[in-house]
Amino acid sequence: MGEFTLKAEPFLDRYERDFGSVSIKELHQQAIVSFAIPNGCETKAEKTLNKVFGVACPKVGNSVLSKDGSARLMRLGADQLFCLLSNQQDTHSAHLVMNQKFGQDIYTTDQSDVWVCVEVSGTQTRKALERICAIDLHPDHFTIASIARTTMEHLGTIILRSAENTYVLLSASSSANSFLHALETSVENTM
Amino acid sequence: MSDQSHRIAGGLIDRSETLEFTFNGTPMHGYLGDTLASALLANGQKLVGRSFKYHRPRGIFSAGPEEPNALVQLRSGAQQEPNTRATVAELFDGLTATSQNHLGSLEFDFMSITDLLAPFLSTGFYYKTFMWPAAFWEKIYEPIIRSSAGLGRLSMEADPDTYDKGFLHCDLLIIGAGPSGLAAALAAGASGLRVILADEDFSVGGRLNSESYKIDGVSGSSWAKQALAELKSMDKVRVMNRTTVYGAYDHGIFGALERRTDHQKTSFGKPRQVLWRIYSKRSLLTTGATERPIAFGNNDRPGIMLAGAVRSYVNRFGVTPGKQVTIFTNNDDGWRTATDLVAKGVKVTAVIDARNKSASTPITGAEIILGDQIIDTAGRKGLRSITLKSGKVIQTDCLAVSGGWNPNVHLTCHQRGKPEWNSDILAFVPGGILPTGMKIAGAANGKLGLSTGMVDAVAVAQKIVQDLGQRPASYDIPTSEDEPQSGGAIWHVKDSKKRAWVDLQNDVTVKDIQLSYQEGFRSVEHLKRYTTLGMATDQGKTSNIAGLAIMAECSGKTIPETGTTIFRPPYTPIPIGALAGRARGKHFRPYRLTPSHKWAEENGATFVETGNWLRAQWFARPGEKGWRDSVDREVAMTRASVGICDVTTLGKIDIQGKDVAEFLNHVYTNAFLKLPIGKVRYGLMLREDGVAYDDGTTARLAENHFVMTTTTANAVLVFRRLEFARQCLWPGLDIHMISTTDAWAQFAVAGPNSRKLLSKIVDAPFDMSNEAFPFMACSELTICSGTPARLFRISFSGEIAYEIAVPAKYGNSMMGALMTAGQEFDAVPYGTEALGVMRIEKGHAAGNELNGQTTALNLGLGGFISKKKDCIGKTLSQRPELNRDDAIRLVGFKPVKSDDLLLAGSHFITRDEEANMANDQGWMSSVAYSPTLGHSIGLGFIKKGHQRMGEIIRVVNPSRGVEIEAEIVSPHFYDPEGGLQRG
Repeated sequence: MGEFTLKAEPFLDRYERDFGSVSIKELHQQAIVSFAIPNGCETKAEKTLNKVFGVACPKVGNSVLSKDGSARLMRLGADQLFCLLSNQQDTHSAHLVMNQKFGQDIYTTDQSDVWVCVEVSGTQTRKALERICAIDLHPDHFTIASIARTTMEHLGTIILRSAENTYVLLSASSSANSFLHALETSVENTM
Repeated sequence: MSDQSHRIAGGLIDRSETLEFTFNGTPMHGYLGDTLASALLANGQKLVGRSFKYHRPRGIFSAGPEEPNALVQLRSGAQQEPNTRATVAELFDGLTATSQNHLGSLEFDFMSITDLLAPFLSTGFYYKTFMWPAAFWEKIYEPIIRSSAGLGRLSMEADPDTYDKGFLHCDLLIIGAGPSGLAAALAAGASGLRVILADEDFSVGGRLNSESYKIDGVSGSSWAKQALAELKSMDKVRVMNRTTVYGAYDHGIFGALERRTDHQKTSFGKPRQVLWRIYSKRSLLTTGATERPIAFGNNDRPGIMLAGAVRSYVNRFGVTPGKQVTIFTNNDDGWRTATDLVAKGVKVTAVIDARNKSASTPITGAEIILGDQIIDTAGRKGLRSITLKSGKVIQTDCLAVSGGWNPNVHLTCHQRGKPEWNSDILAFVPGGILPTGMKIAGAANGKLGLSTGMVDAVAVAQKIVQDLGQRPASYDIPTSEDEPQSGGAIWHVKDSKKRAWVDLQNDVTVKDIQLSYQEGFRSVEHLKRYTTLGMATDQGKTSNIAGLAIMAECSGKTIPETGTTIFRPPYTPIPIGALAGRARGKHFRPYRLTPSHKWAEENGATFVETGNWLRAQWFARPGEKGWRDSVDREVAMTRASVGICDVTTLGKIDIQGKDVAEFLNHVYTNAFLKLPIGKVRYGLMLREDGVAYDDGTTARLAENHFVMTTTTANAVLVFRRLEFARQCLWPGLDIHMISTTDAWAQFAVAGPNSRKLLSKIVDAPFDMSNEAFPFMACSELTICSGTPARLFRISFSGEIAYEIAVPAKYGNSMMGALMTAGQEFDAVPYGTEALGVMRIEKGHAAGNELNGQTTALNLGLGGFISKKKDCIGKTLSQRPELNRDDAIRLVGFKPVKSDDLLLAGSHFITRDEEANMANDQGWMSSVAYSPTLGHSIGLGFIKKGHQRMGEIIRVVNPSRGVEIEAEIVSPHFYDPEGGLQRG
């Protein structure tokens, strides 16, 4: 060990609060790796992803858990996916691992620190999100595992419905405090 | 407590719950279910306000949102809200209401002298009178007019309530929960559609609550209650009462205001109102119709009301507006008021039908007068009598007037839909281009009968169900009857010699309209603006058609030939607070923090907003007297040893793909095709028109992997522009981009000791030597025992310098580590001010110079436009006008007198010319006090600047009244050869 070591500080200081019928929690150990599929290599890339994660590549607007449940693939666009890996002690090594696995088949970028990752859950979650989320979250429309890019209170956000009443929200880490304020206000205003 | 002198039996109010309130300090009471208007009437309070222009006594005129008269101030202190319509204000216990627009008491308003001056205050009075002398405009006329204008008063305190916004989605938005809306919602809901049913009233049912209709054998209000219960049992149906849909926007989007706590004394910390954006696949307008008055002499006295409103007060609120009510009508509907009042035991003195039509219904105890009209009324603060054209005088304290019904077409006009005239009902019905996906049904569509309207609404709803690909469920249309609706066209009583009000809210009379026509205002829109007809809170809901009809009479045309005004959002007033929502104070907009923000806060930083970012501007130390002391020290210590600055805010774009180098060659003016791996290059971008757009550096980390930096201000714009280029201009190239601005905490480490400092934290075996890692080198590495990092050998300050990046989560810790490692070198943190000073000393262009007006040539970067390749903006950058011999050039300026301070924004004038626009030679874009040089320095653009070194020019700043002399010098004040940064 050298003279200096650095300490990772979560963007919301491991925020966790139970409001009753809604809970908000920072998922601070979430590694996020962006996958970009090279032009003309879509089939090859999808095969590679299937091989690595044991599941078929999801369609745009959807996500899928890897066969072992350790990773979630979110298809953001025709040539772009995000891979979310939970409970990572070192969120940055995930990118290196993926990079080694894919080589030039898929371009990878570490996105772990671009986003603050927040889980909002509870029976009243949808009611609270109505106040800031412009997209239609009706359960018939935004089914479990659906994802969407949208904005909340002017902040770019990726929303994932991970369970019946659970949503995972990704927003820019630099504005994490404003994003949390927007969420807290939404919950408090609808309790 | 006052006596409820006008309360009668019946109604939908809950008499078990008494609500205390005050009006102008007088305690009164009402019941749950009352509006403020109904409670005031119940307490015998007829006079509720003063008119806008003439300060004439006014009473309650309607029972809904169309109210032009009964505008009051609700609540008190900071929560005081002016211009609230008493007819839609829900009564609550503890409500405080006050009248407005009077000098002195409501009863004795000194400003009512204006009524005596009415002959001199004709329409267009301001325009005609206050023309001369011009010197009086601002100092005399405007203060007088402003002080007497307006209605209510703001509290001038910050609004203590909170507001919110939200988003809703549905298959079908039904606007209006009257009989048609309820029937349509039941039909659509039963078919499985996601329905939102919105109504501005606190009680759904619309006119059903005000009428004596029967539906399916029960009272209309009971049927509405049953319908509501059924709708609430449908999980895809959302009923939103107290919600006004105020605007129809593009693509089926509507604006709606939900009043969540206006009916309570306190909001208990919750938002008072919520402004909803509703996304609908289809919408159905079932907003019903609004009754219109007839204008006749002195038709504005308290006690003169719309006939349908009188029915509402009697049937819904158990209140009679008068003890001896007279009805004046030109249609069958007016007679219904008489029968309903008689049924409730209210004395009807007379029914006057302007038509020569025999009475359709016997009215017990009332005198029936046919073919006559009212020409005048009496009673200053409350109606006492009316005078008929025949000369007959009738003693009465309430006059119910019905001139027919106008469909509520407001929302159909919001995308320029132009209503069409329907001669059957003598009213405009929706027409022209309707908002996307909108259908209209019921009375709003001109189908005024109850049964007809409900049948129409269900049919339209079921058609919508089909349009949305679903099968309509069977739905039994409730049984009801159509009431008689025929009527005649009487807009105003022509034989009336007295002032007859068309627009009660703006005090516009029949004569005003005739005069404006006479004065040449032929367009309805001009008429509206000249007379103010149809403006303010009611937006002419009871006056527009009559105004149009009178104009048609003047022109000898028909009403549809004369035209119609169309409506714009909002349907009813929306508080500014609701529009602002949460965006107040600190949360007016999101803010972004740099990774080392916490460290900076703990170490005395003063922050500055740069876009959304909060950046450390300088770090004050004890004993420093002002910001200049801090900045000068930070510059001096950086140049002397080493300084550290968080530069995370610069845009970072990760670009990967086989064709990135080619792509960069297209978007940058200079060559990138052969940029070696491990090297950084400065790049300049142009707009398509050849003007400089943005600059930054791009590093090649691997064969197919580049990292571009942009200016802070243009981070998003450049990314967007690259995406456009990638997707639209060169879609065949293999390029993939993603923003990594927030991914990396990036620090500039600058100064002679920067290498030594960084050597302490980089992990072995990374070689920091100048040979191994020279100027413009870049590398991925690890630091501080394994943390991934990126190192760039670039300099903005002109010193030997680096930018080192670590994952953002380590940013705060990294700043601490750098400072600790730098202790032995007296390392100093520096902020944006010192950063700016050093870049000006070095002569680097920044946002002030890349301002959207300057070219590469102007910036002294003409050589950066490669002659060997094309790029965005190259062709148009070659336009002769942009390449004139006397084009402005970026140069440096130093004051002739070293104590003078240069001012940014100053203009350059030659010594022998007058300081005016014609002689303007250019402008100063950036200035700083250079602690390195000991005097003020500036960068600026001046004609042929590069050929004028050493010339003395005048630096003129007329807005600050400052003029000094300065010498034109090289923009590179510090180390012009660049030896330091390469060292």
